[in-house]
Amino acid sequence: MSGPVMDPRIAPPFPDAALPILQNTQLRKNVAHATDVIQAKRNRLVAEKQDWQELRTSGAAIRAHVLANLASYLEEFEKNCTAAGGVVHWAKDAAEARQIILGILREEKASEVIKIKTMTSAEIQLNPELEKAGIAAIETDLAELILQLGEDEGSHIVVPALHVNRQQVREVFARRMGLPELPDDPEALTAAARAYLRKKFLSVPTAISGANFLIAETGSVAIVESEGNGRMCLTLPQTLIALAGIEKVLPRFGDLEVLLQVLARSATGERLNPYNSLWSGVVPGDGPQRFHVVLLDNGRSEILGRKVERQTLQCIRCAACLNTCPVYRQTGGHAYGSPYAGPIGAILTPQLEHMRHGQSLPYASSLCGACYEVCPVKINIPEVLIDLRAKVVDQERAETKRWFDPMYVGMKAANFAFASAARFRFAQRFGRFGLRFFTDKDGWVRKLPNLGARWTLSRDLPGMPDQTFRQWWAERETGRGKEAR
Amino acid sequence: MTRSSRQTILDAVRAATSSDIDQYEAIPRGYVRVGALDQQGRVQLMTERLHEYGAEVVESAPADLPHIVVRQLQHSGTHHFVVPAGIPQEWMGTGITWLVDQNLSHDEIERCGGVVTAASAGVADSGTIVLHHGPAEGRRVISLLPDFHLCVLRAFQIVETLPEYFARFIEPPRLATYISGPSATADIEMTRIKGVHGPRFLSVIIVRDDA
Repeated sequence: MSGPVMDPRIAPPFPDAALPILQNTQLRKNVAHATDVIQAKRNRLVAEKQDWQELRTSGAAIRAHVLANLASYLEEFEKNCTAAGGVVHWAKDAAEARQIILGILREEKASEVIKIKTMTSAEIQLNPELEKAGIAAIETDLAELILQLGEDEGSHIVVPALHVNRQQVREVFARRMGLPELPDDPEALTAAARAYLRKKFLSVPTAISGANFLIAETGSVAIVESEGNGRMCLTLPQTLIALAGIEKVLPRFGDLEVLLQVLARSATGERLNPYNSLWSGVVPGDGPQRFHVVLLDNGRSEILGRKVERQTLQCIRCAACLNTCPVYRQTGGHAYGSPYAGPIGAILTPQLEHMRHGQSLPYASSLCGACYEVCPVKINIPEVLIDLRAKVVDQERAETKRWFDPMYVGMKAANFAFASAARFRFAQRFGRFGLRFFTDKDGWVRKLPNLGARWTLSRDLPGMPDQTFRQWWAERETGRGKEAR
Repeated sequence: MTRSSRQTILDAVRAATSSDIDQYEAIPRGYVRVGALDQQGRVQLMTERLHEYGAEVVESAPADLPHIVVRQLQHSGTHHFVVPAGIPQEWMGTGITWLVDQNLSHDEIERCGGVVTAASAGVADSGTIVLHHGPAEGRRVISLLPDFHLCVLRAFQIVETLPEYFARFIEPPRLATYISGPSATADIEMTRIKGVHGPRFLSVIIVRDDA
């Protein structure tokens, strides 16, 4: 079996990728269990927080304020980080970010690099590039390690290996770490990972991290985590490279009082993450003595210019929208064909791809609004989804082959019929006549041909009533109408 | 090349946001900033939260501290302890092998079973120990590699809410580590396992203020 494709430029459309996954009952069981557990913890801790809505309001306002003033905050961050001994690089796109990182690693003569889980590195497809250059990237987050050793792909922003169960982890670790006797209880598996990585932490002199927040006021970087692998990578190596999207800035140190609280509760259902680390540039005698920050645009400045879509960049990557999404909960993350899955992935991925790839993703939603309700920074995801759907339709409208698309032709026909009362009445009569051939004796339609089969594949349709509402209304006026059902 | 990318990005960002006027001061701050508990309540809440994380907590009068430090360390089951250079001399009682961190190598620190540090603050609401890595808190590495961390926290250092901590440190620290319970993961089937990479055992002494 070939692995999931997580590059939006070559991934199949969402419905095609989702179908085989829906048949994988083990994976669905794993995803359902994990999302249930996180949601229960998250809901309990949000319920205890009396000022939750006020925190959300402030979180959203801080993030929106940053985006509205992004250029000056980026310059302030750059100035303060540089003054503290850091080196700031700017990358327009993924390719440039990879080149910058490779350049630094070559200068360091690095043959190995330890990594903290970073979504941005997956976004720019860094690991394959490192491999090509002969540099071994060692993932140190437990979930990322499971995926890396198992040659699998992440399916969740916060807990990327949630689709894998303990037997599967055991199999991977036993095989790749050479531990045939390893039992499958999580405690033993975690201990195996600890022992495996400890040697790496103490010997590999170069690390790559992401960034949860960049503080403009101080030029510092904040990373939140649970395991301590982050602290290891931030403390032990001689050289550290942090890769961050340009939207990750916060104005002041004190703004963390809002964002740390909402992030921990939303992401893992904790009051605060076990470990939060904050550092400014290079601190003599403590930690890496060479520090680089790579600021990545890769489509973000374009998103910033769109009124409805800008809020996409408020995201702090807590993944609460994934856990609550009725679509994600059925398919897991691989169907999205991008490192960013779930509702936030459905709006972020096609935009990062300049609307050239991932066009099926804005449709991977029932628009129920659960994602908006849990979002700690109040991103109105359904609003953005609808706007992006409109953009996808506009694209399709511009193509000549549209006249061969039954959906397009059907919509055109509907538009024609709905535009005049007479044509609408005629269409109704025609439809009632036509549907009669497919209506069962009990009044239900169970099997339609062509496009209609997409509906009846999973749902029955009530047959047309004998008269339309307008007919019934007209007859009622004259006293001859039947009582409404 | 990089220089031009910088300009390209900043120009694009400026063009996308040119019509925005948005004041930092106008950001609404309706959330709870100051807690309602007195000091005894804060100590109690801090203790509860630390217990929830599986940390060990004892209280101490200022005069008893040296004795209690030694007692807690003897209970830990390890014998070699690393300490930051700026730790008060009187904490380092007899019967323990002390290793003062004066640029120790990672391997030397790794061989220690435990570490003793002071702290900069405690946040009761989340049971958080805050280290700013000053002289008595030590370099980040010494509170990371050993498996046992004994942290001495003064009662007056404990605030109730996270915003109270930020109000107390208007001057941002150069380095900070916020510890809310021992190293943990839930990556395998959401089963919480303590002790992945950081210290597996956290022990806290809360020192009552001088009367």
